[in-house]
Amino acid sequence: MVLHTLRLATVPLTFTTSRLFLKPSPTLSFFSRHVQPRKPSFLLRAFSNSSAVQDTPLTQTSSDSSAARPPQWKAAIDFKWIRDNKEAVEINIENRNSNADLEAVLELYENMVTLQKEVEGIREERNNVAKKMKGKLEPSERERLVEEGKNLKESLVTLEENLVKLQDELQHVARSIPNMTHPDVPVGGEDSSAIRKEVGSPREFSFPIKDHLQLGKDLDLIDFDSAAEVSGSKFFYLKNEAVLLEMALLNWTLSEVMKKGFTPLTTPEIVRSSIVEKCGFQPRGDNTQVYSIDGTDQCLIGTAEIPVGGIHMDSILLESSLPLKYIAFSHCFRTEAGAAGAATKGLYRVHQFSKAEMFVLCRPEDSESFHNELIQIEEDLFTSLGLHFKTLDMATADLGAPAYRKFDVEAWMPGLGRFGEISSASNCTDYQSRRLGIRFRPSEPLQTGPKKGKANLPPTKFVHTLNATACAVPRMMVCLLENYQQEDGSVVIPEPLRPFMGGIEAIKPKLR
Amino acid sequence: MGLHTLRLATVPLTFSTFTSRLFLKPIPPNTLQTLGQFSRHVQPRKPFLVRAFSASAAVQETPPTQASDSSAARPQWKASIDFKWIRDNKEAVEINIKNRNSNADLGGVIELYENMVNLQKEVEGIREERNNVAKKMKGKLEPSERERLVEEGKSLKESLVTLEEDLVKLQDELQQVARSIPNMTHPDVPIGGEDSSAIRKEVGSPREFTFPIRDHLQLGKDLDLIDFDSASEVSGSKFFYLKNEAVLLEMALLNWTLSEVMKKGFTPLTTPEIVRSSIVEKCGFQPRGDNTQVYSIDGTDQCLIGTAEIPVGGIHMDSILLESALPLKYIAFSHCFRTEAGAAGAATKGLYRVHQFSKAEMFILCRPEDSETCHDELIQIEEDLFTSLGLHFKTLDMATADLGAPAYRKFDIEAWMPGLGRFGEISSASNCTDYQSRRLGIRYRPSEPVQTGSKKGKASLPATKFVHTLNATACAVPRMMVCLLENYQQEDGSVVIPEPLRPFMGGIELIKPKLR
Repeated sequence: MVLHTLRLATVPLTFTTSRLFLKPSPTLSFFSRHVQPRKPSFLLRAFSNSSAVQDTPLTQTSSDSSAARPPQWKAAIDFKWIRDNKEAVEINIENRNSNADLEAVLELYENMVTLQKEVEGIREERNNVAKKMKGKLEPSERERLVEEGKNLKESLVTLEENLVKLQDELQHVARSIPNMTHPDVPVGGEDSSAIRKEVGSPREFSFPIKDHLQLGKDLDLIDFDSAAEVSGSKFFYLKNEAVLLEMALLNWTLSEVMKKGFTPLTTPEIVRSSIVEKCGFQPRGDNTQVYSIDGTDQCLIGTAEIPVGGIHMDSILLESSLPLKYIAFSHCFRTEAGAAGAATKGLYRVHQFSKAEMFVLCRPEDSESFHNELIQIEEDLFTSLGLHFKTLDMATADLGAPAYRKFDVEAWMPGLGRFGEISSASNCTDYQSRRLGIRFRPSEPLQTGPKKGKANLPPTKFVHTLNATACAVPRMMVCLLENYQQEDGSVVIPEPLRPFMGGIEAIKPKLR
Repeated sequence: MGLHTLRLATVPLTFSTFTSRLFLKPIPPNTLQTLGQFSRHVQPRKPFLVRAFSASAAVQETPPTQASDSSAARPQWKASIDFKWIRDNKEAVEINIKNRNSNADLGGVIELYENMVNLQKEVEGIREERNNVAKKMKGKLEPSERERLVEEGKSLKESLVTLEEDLVKLQDELQQVARSIPNMTHPDVPIGGEDSSAIRKEVGSPREFTFPIRDHLQLGKDLDLIDFDSASEVSGSKFFYLKNEAVLLEMALLNWTLSEVMKKGFTPLTTPEIVRSSIVEKCGFQPRGDNTQVYSIDGTDQCLIGTAEIPVGGIHMDSILLESALPLKYIAFSHCFRTEAGAAGAATKGLYRVHQFSKAEMFILCRPEDSETCHDELIQIEEDLFTSLGLHFKTLDMATADLGAPAYRKFDIEAWMPGLGRFGEISSASNCTDYQSRRLGIRYRPSEPVQTGSKKGKASLPATKFVHTLNATACAVPRMMVCLLENYQQEDGSVVIPEPLRPFMGGIELIKPKLR
């Protein structure tokens, strides 16, 4: 029995303050400008970069899935903008390897517009008839008008029903349209992704190395076998120093990111499935990554991006409260349907894990600079831990539907003998905010008019949202265990984490 | 915007022994059914009564919804219940069932058991007859005699098949009905309902406030620490976000608790939070039915855990431990998920009763003769932790009607919550003796007597025994937050952080109202 004595060293933390927001307005504006919509039913948005999952062939393409059940919520998609920018949208859909059916969207949209006009026409006729009936009339003429009014009312009811159906179908089909893409994003598949940055070099080992699975077993840190019996494959227990390492990683990450003015959060891990959809994930279907709760409309979250995205749902924020920067800690749950092969070994792909996720809500004009801030924070964190990694500007076909641009960080995993994704930073522009209904009211122009109230307020705009992994614990553990292993089988703890795990400097083999 | 600068102070932590223990993990599951079916000292369990995660009697007393037709579904696993012991101790079991306010049908269990024993005898008789017929046929026989024997053998075989099928059905039914029998009860446990629970200890006194106090909900809002409103939109009622210092406080509570409990030789764990529903059942919880506390995953046989007791109980499932490896002491951190079906009223206000929360749970596997000592150790650890945090609390020896089916004895700790104006349960320590281990199949092999026989191998090994299991809350975060926020509030609206937690939250001494 070895007794380690641990110490927590002195580390400065910076703490942020709370912001003010308004939270009124449950209505969604239907036809607003600058649309970058999304894809729900055809292409699944995978949580991670695995294109194996993203390229899943569509199971139910045709329209029968759409019109049948009305959508439970409405995305504020700017159809006029899509129609007016047809070519750009078409090219974008192709570049992103999306199955979105732009033709159908436009056709449904035109039909809807036509039907709307028709409905308006009949309403007008009905008003005219009603007006006529106010005057003195022959009984036969009155009877004729009553009959006409009745007919008009009947056809109006039918047409309005059709209009609702058409709008529902349009919603359904249009949600598959992905966000537009940043002009600098390389066009093509995974191979086309551009390297933005590379840090460090692979460590050279003078002894035969082990992978994290072997290290986890030898050091009594990870138990996959018991978890397979208790829960199923790809579940695990962390044990001994691994528990402290997880806590240290999260504590350290939180304290570092809080220094940059991010507000810490813990989140619900069960959410309504509509929130999952609004964030651009697909909670249903054969290949879904999402665990659903039996007998409810709730799901388990695959990432804290979902509950954090939902915090300001259906609200209008003050411009002065932006940006809102959050660092959220949660457990994440993923079915990993369709995942198989060597990439799924050990901790690399698991059903449940801990993660600290950054999330930013900001003005449209600021989202690009926040995207840069987020990737910078990630790079700083991984550099502090001494990892060898590269940052990629992901190619169009590798973007999930909500992302306007996505930077991935891939780190060297010596035991696996390859680079593996350890984090991802996406700018979703207004894709999510148009679904979640998150707006802000620009403070300029100043209220100068004599009238007070709504009329003087500038119109609201949709915020931009960004999300970025600060620390996905299992993949960090793969990196740390495999990169910091020693010839004697021990693993060195990187300097920055030591104060957060009571001063432990190395994980040593246990005495038997 | 106030900027606080935080420091993590230097604090010595003792780290527990990281020696991994040796266990045997052989025994394929199918041999289990035959193994401990008729062993001694049984304390079985109740499927009709839902075992509530907390002491809420409202949920426990749910009437059985489907009592009889349940035999239709075959049990997916077998509890090693000692039916012979139950039959031989009928009166004691009967009184125990009554004292514990259980719906278990002892008469039904014993009748099914007797039927099963009779049927077993009948099956054995026919097997013997069949062997006799087979023997007779080996000799020289008249063709007519042979034909008669062939016919007899055939009809014996047929009735054997039928009887064996009946036997399986009977065994299944017996399993189903017998699982409702609760564990036996420690002789010192007070008999009666909640009011009969005995106070073991009382620490501190209620703080006297010189100003109008707020409850934790108000403090959580005023200090921007807890957001129930957004969570009810995103997830549903009784969900929440923690924000700002509350996030650090949660981490500090868990870090501090882990480091304190590790000093006592407990091995830290994180656990899966999705488990097979059979494991939930084996731990004595009911994962199905209208009033279940358990969230199930759609389209699988998996559930969300309501407590880390479940996945930790499952770690050594179907295994034989070395006696020298005992006791195994774990401190497990997990999130817990509970439907809280049927919960309502003032007791459910704010953080007191929520669908999801963080918890550090202690779990011990030990030899039967050690479980009472371990139980005392667990409640002592809890009391020490809460005393360090300066809480006013009392420890109760819970009365018979307030015990879940698995508990042989249960100590609850109730702490004073000034905002709620009452004591509220903050932790619980149960000795489940062999109730869970008989269901999970966790045994050990006593090391004595020394192998002296000339034969090597199994024959000379002592018989295995079921371990005893115990579980105890080290820190259920939301209820600790209720206590800390409400007890440590100041007149200016701030909340003081208790001394022991400060080093774990960067030296913060006070949660102050934010500047707007």
